[in-house]
Amino acid sequence: MELLDRYLQAVRKYLPLRRQDDIIAELRANMESQIEDRESELGRSLTQGEFDDFLRKIGHPMVVASRYQPQQYLIGPTMFPMYLYVLRIAMLWVFIICMIVAAVVTPLTEGTGGAVVAAVFRTPGILIQTAAWITLVFAAFEFARTRYPNICPQIDGLNKSWNPSTLPPLEKEALREGKPRSFAQAVAEIIFSVLFLGWVLLIPHYPFLLLGPGVVFLKTSPYQLASVWWTFFGWIVALGIMQIVAKCIDLARGTWERRSRIQQIVFKIVGLIPVLVLLAAPGHIYVSLKNPAVDQAQFGQNLAQVNNAIHLGFSVICAIVVLQLAFDLGKWVSEAYRRREAAF
Amino acid sequence: MTVAENTFENLRLELRRGCLTLAVLAQLRQEHYGYTLRKELAERGLEIDESTLYPLLRRLETQGLLASQWREEDKRNKRFYRLSPEGEQILARLLDEWNSINASVSRILEAETAPNSQAR
Repeated sequence: MELLDRYLQAVRKYLPLRRQDDIIAELRANMESQIEDRESELGRSLTQGEFDDFLRKIGHPMVVASRYQPQQYLIGPTMFPMYLYVLRIAMLWVFIICMIVAAVVTPLTEGTGGAVVAAVFRTPGILIQTAAWITLVFAAFEFARTRYPNICPQIDGLNKSWNPSTLPPLEKEALREGKPRSFAQAVAEIIFSVLFLGWVLLIPHYPFLLLGPGVVFLKTSPYQLASVWWTFFGWIVALGIMQIVAKCIDLARGTWERRSRIQQIVFKIVGLIPVLVLLAAPGHIYVSLKNPAVDQAQFGQNLAQVNNAIHLGFSVICAIVVLQLAFDLGKWVSEAYRRREAAF
Repeated sequence: MTVAENTFENLRLELRRGCLTLAVLAQLRQEHYGYTLRKELAERGLEIDESTLYPLLRRLETQGLLASQWREEDKRNKRFYRLSPEGEQILARLLDEWNSINASVSRILEAETAPNSQAR
């Protein structure tokens, strides 16, 4: 019986403090009766091996004790879908805010690449903290709901006050993916893309095509565009050519009706390159003075302000494009997952 | 354990859980302590683990469906359980529900087998 005492002592450690004595006394009475029955059947005492088997069959002390716990889960099945929904929304917004802080606020306030990298690396920690707090709040609510159902009837209330007529209208697959392009539309797109590219290529020779009458100001002013704009221009031309080639391939393959999602995402990623080229401009100089020796004293301060403003503008554009890309990627992955699930 | 076996095991446990509660409540129309209740149920073909039955008794008592008292029997203190008045009402309603479900499932199964027997 010493083994029985040791077993019950082990079970006791995992039991709720308030009911330990009562549960152990009952468990002991039941187990002793069972042992007695078994021994009277055999006509002898149980051997050590038989006793071990008996206890093993009842289960590990921790498992046995866990069955007496009133609440078995942190967040129950009723609350879990709501928890998951809130968690997903919160994580998405925290991620967006962290990215805006890293891509826009940090470069403006601290202005170093290291600070931006540090801000990006802080994001996982902030996400984990957010998830932990949300889990904690839901776990507390679940605990209160289970323990005091009369005080917390909110879930039932929500269910009863729900109105089916407030459901959003049905989304049609075709509307979601956009209207298919006709052949004429696809051809027109190529023609306009070629015309646009021609217009872009003419700008360096005829700047008035872009600036209009403002070209006179550029000629007479003490300012000139920095060389980074030539790199930017090269990338814009390359992108234009790439898009025309892709559209021609779609037309030749007969796949002009819908542009593939991968193609759209690739274009968005490549479209980021010209913006990144500008952001990486040495010293963030986009406009310089034609005669620095003469004009530095008069226009130097204005020049710094203009360059900072241009850098800020492109930082914001970059953040928006990155967020849009992340959103598109997420949407694409989720649609691919849904299609895969539906196929099974 | 394969995925199919695991699914079956989960569904089996889910199915058994409600039935065990009903069986325990029904058996406790007569007074029992944990071990004899388990023996009675086993004799009637319903095997139930100690680690499932004893906490279940506690839970049903907390819900007010069972009443218990410590009493000495065979020179040993034992906790005897019996259906409370509230438990009797709940048991009657649960039995109605059980019979209704049982009859419905039987009708569904008969409807499933009828066209096959007609075809033969």
